Amino acid sequence: MKYLGIDPQKVKIGVFDFTGCEGCELQLANKEESLLEFLSLLEVVNFREISSDSSQDYDIALVEGSISRKDEIERLTDIRARAKVLVAMGACACFGGVNYLKNQYPLKDVVKEVYGMHSVETSKVKRIADVVKVDLNIPGCPVSKSEVESIIVSIVVGAEVKIPKYPVCVECKQNVNTCVVDLGKICLGPITRAGCGAVCPTGKAGCLGCRGPAEDANYGSLREILREKGHCESEIEQKLCFYNAFNGSTEK
Amino acid sequence: MDYRLQRQNINTEPFMTKPPQYNRKSIVMRTDKVYKCEIINIVELTHLEKLFHLKILNRTERRIFKFRPGQFVMLEVPGFGEVPISISSSSNNTEYIELCVRKAGRTTSVLHQAQKGAKLGIRGPFGTSFPMEEMMGSSILLIAGGLGLAPLRAPVYWVTEHRDKYKDVHVLYGAKDPEQMLFTYQYDEWKKVNNINLLTIVEKQGKGWDGRTGLITELFKEVSIKPDNTYAIVCGPPVMFNFVCNYLDGLGIPMNRMFVSLERRMHCGMGKCCRCMIGSTFTCVDGPVFDYWSVLNLKEAI
Amino acid sequence: MIYKVITKNEFKKFINGLIGENQTFGPKQVDRRADGKAVYQFMEVSSFDEMDLNYTVTYSSVKNFFLPFKEELSHFKFSDNDWEQAVEYRVNPRVIVGARPCDINALAILDKILMRGAFPSPYYIARRKNTFLIGMDHEPPEDCFCKSLGHDTVHRGFNLFCEDIGEQYYLTINSSKAFVFLKNVKAGKPTKKDDVKLIERRKLLRESFQARVEVAGLSSVLDIEFKSPVWKKWGDKCLNCGSCAMVCPTCYCYGIEETIDVGMKSSRKERVQYSCNLVDFAQVAGGHNFRPLKEDRLKYRFYHHYRGFAENADDPICVGCNRCGRACLAGINPREVISDLQMEG
Repeated sequence: MKYLGIDPQKVKIGVFDFTGCEGCELQLANKEESLLEFLSLLEVVNFREISSDSSQDYDIALVEGSISRKDEIERLTDIRARAKVLVAMGACACFGGVNYLKNQYPLKDVVKEVYGMHSVETSKVKRIADVVKVDLNIPGCPVSKSEVESIIVSIVVGAEVKIPKYPVCVECKQNVNTCVVDLGKICLGPITRAGCGAVCPTGKAGCLGCRGPAEDANYGSLREILREKGHCESEIEQKLCFYNAFNGSTEK
Repeated sequence: MDYRLQRQNINTEPFMTKPPQYNRKSIVMRTDKVYKCEIINIVELTHLEKLFHLKILNRTERRIFKFRPGQFVMLEVPGFGEVPISISSSSNNTEYIELCVRKAGRTTSVLHQAQKGAKLGIRGPFGTSFPMEEMMGSSILLIAGGLGLAPLRAPVYWVTEHRDKYKDVHVLYGAKDPEQMLFTYQYDEWKKVNNINLLTIVEKQGKGWDGRTGLITELFKEVSIKPDNTYAIVCGPPVMFNFVCNYLDGLGIPMNRMFVSLERRMHCGMGKCCRCMIGSTFTCVDGPVFDYWSVLNLKEAI
Repeated sequence: MIYKVITKNEFKKFINGLIGENQTFGPKQVDRRADGKAVYQFMEVSSFDEMDLNYTVTYSSVKNFFLPFKEELSHFKFSDNDWEQAVEYRVNPRVIVGARPCDINALAILDKILMRGAFPSPYYIARRKNTFLIGMDHEPPEDCFCKSLGHDTVHRGFNLFCEDIGEQYYLTINSSKAFVFLKNVKAGKPTKKDDVKLIERRKLLRESFQARVEVAGLSSVLDIEFKSPVWKKWGDKCLNCGSCAMVCPTCYCYGIEETIDVGMKSSRKERVQYSCNLVDFAQVAGGHNFRPLKEDRLKYRFYHHYRGFAENADDPICVGCNRCGRACLAGINPREVISDLQMEG
């Protein structure tokens, strides 16, 4: 960046996990071909998946997972207080994710079903934004590493972050796929934010909306289309609830 | 038996031996190659706008880069993107060009951090320009709102360099508040040296401001306009120039003597990507300078 | 133009010859829809038999061989205080077999825009020049309305065009390359009988069109009906998903995106296929959107398609293949939208 006279400082970054599978964190540690370059921009001070160091001094906090216990709220509040930029990373952090399904049932039943005799303390699942202020959402299940990388680069150099506003269909058509809806399945691609490269529809599986709503998505029209194709209301509802990504935004 | 296709390479001719004719069918094929330039000076105009002085580094390229007032360049910040910026400097200045850039998006947010000596790229110049020669012998009304003074500065320079060719020259400039006024350091020179009637107004009173407050149309009360011998150039937000052009139309200035400069998102600058279309008109090729009659014929709202 | 006839057996030999020496793409069945219809796409093939030349129509068009969905325009390499920009137009030669007349006419329209405008696109020209294009006539699918737009027959824009006259193909040879390649096989001069068969074949195809769109005066109807409620009606259905533009053989609107690599040592500038239906097509830095409504964006696509811009002002750029209509889940298709407009007006 010297060609612009800008000398970006290494930013201190901490990666933290809450209720989730840590799959997003693994994504970051995974892509070996760019891992070293990625790390050259950063000083990782707290990232359990790749280092045993743990310092509480960081500029950016990448937060993975949703919130489902009291002690998590305390930890998250503390992270927020220390971080200059707090990023919710992944569908769980942004929307509640698959964990959110639990909120459909009475807590008592959930604990019994999952833990049997060994009951644990747990509460209703919350999104990160339900607990603290979130500066930036990076959606996806899991997140796309290249998207996280480009966002981190943007933060490091102080450029505005860019994330697609249009739906998955664009990328799906660019992969020259056959439309999954035409194959008789439910696909949320038309209302879901692109950026994933349409991996699921490319594998002939309907999109479940892990990246949340595209901008100005037309929920009403998609519902009508799916109903006309013979999918029942409850089936459509089930897909829309999968990641809780469309909560409160889909009129019937 | 032979079925093999041979690769056909195109455009092996060297680039930049002749000026690219950007506004006619170009013989130069490498339309996406930028001229490399260096930031030789940065002037902080407001907290949102900076003026960059850019010098094209290659001497041949510098020689063949010629523009007219009203034209724009695509400014490349390598690594981050390209943005259309109208040229704010004198078309007589063959050493460097001046670009006034507002911090508004990804590319410009990086550009605003760039330091003197930084290397950028430009392509162009693109688009239509103000018919400065046609206006000779008449009075000129230059009306700008906000950032609109940036594209207007090129014709102002033209007028000052050919001051004897024009009758009365009025510059009417309105801004939201005094802090947002651009090129304030030049006002005295325009008024005192160049015999320009410069009138300014702000919408919101600010610290240390003892000038006029109100909308730009207030300024019309202070100038006398002879509609049969006046040209107008209007740059600013759409609300403003609709209002202003309507007023001038009412005074009787013919529509083909009123010019506006329009703004749209441009990606290519070459009439291809269609991002800057208004109805069926390309802002980048058919504009950015339009006469008012053409503006009225645009299908979409401006 | 030179005309020849070739038996279907010889033709197969000819195509296999081309496939053997060059990267070749042809129509292949890739899927079957829930309603039983086969789905075809142009795919890379390694032998003649992999192709289905009796295919109805491919889901996507051949456009993306000439205007790839993503294409590098240039790249930058950064050194300490400086950078270098590199621009390349290298395209390896390839063969496309089985394009339909409307597909080729679509390319002729793109040629006009991208090869002849004020700024000819070297990227497009490189791809066009390095593609050996073999066209074929076909019986129109029932929803195809290319005849209404005069694109059911084709006279230029290909290297070789084949018309099915039974046992043989009637060949139109439009390039020296095609002429030379054909020397490898037996292809004779058409007899009077072949000519008659050709005329009969063309008549049959002409008469088998079922769908129709009234395009006379459409350009001014679109102007006059700019504020018609018809746009809201269809706009409310529109998913703004861009599928129509991606499969369309002439939609060429694009965006330019620049990506810097993680190590900040280089960056790529790419042309990315976009669609005027996408929400931020007309959004400017700072956030203002010049087309905030779904109906504005949908209307704009129709406006472009049937009114034409710049190089083809007042000429529709639609060829009538109805790919957009087939790809649209919401059932938005040119026939119905235009007939709505014409009735309205």
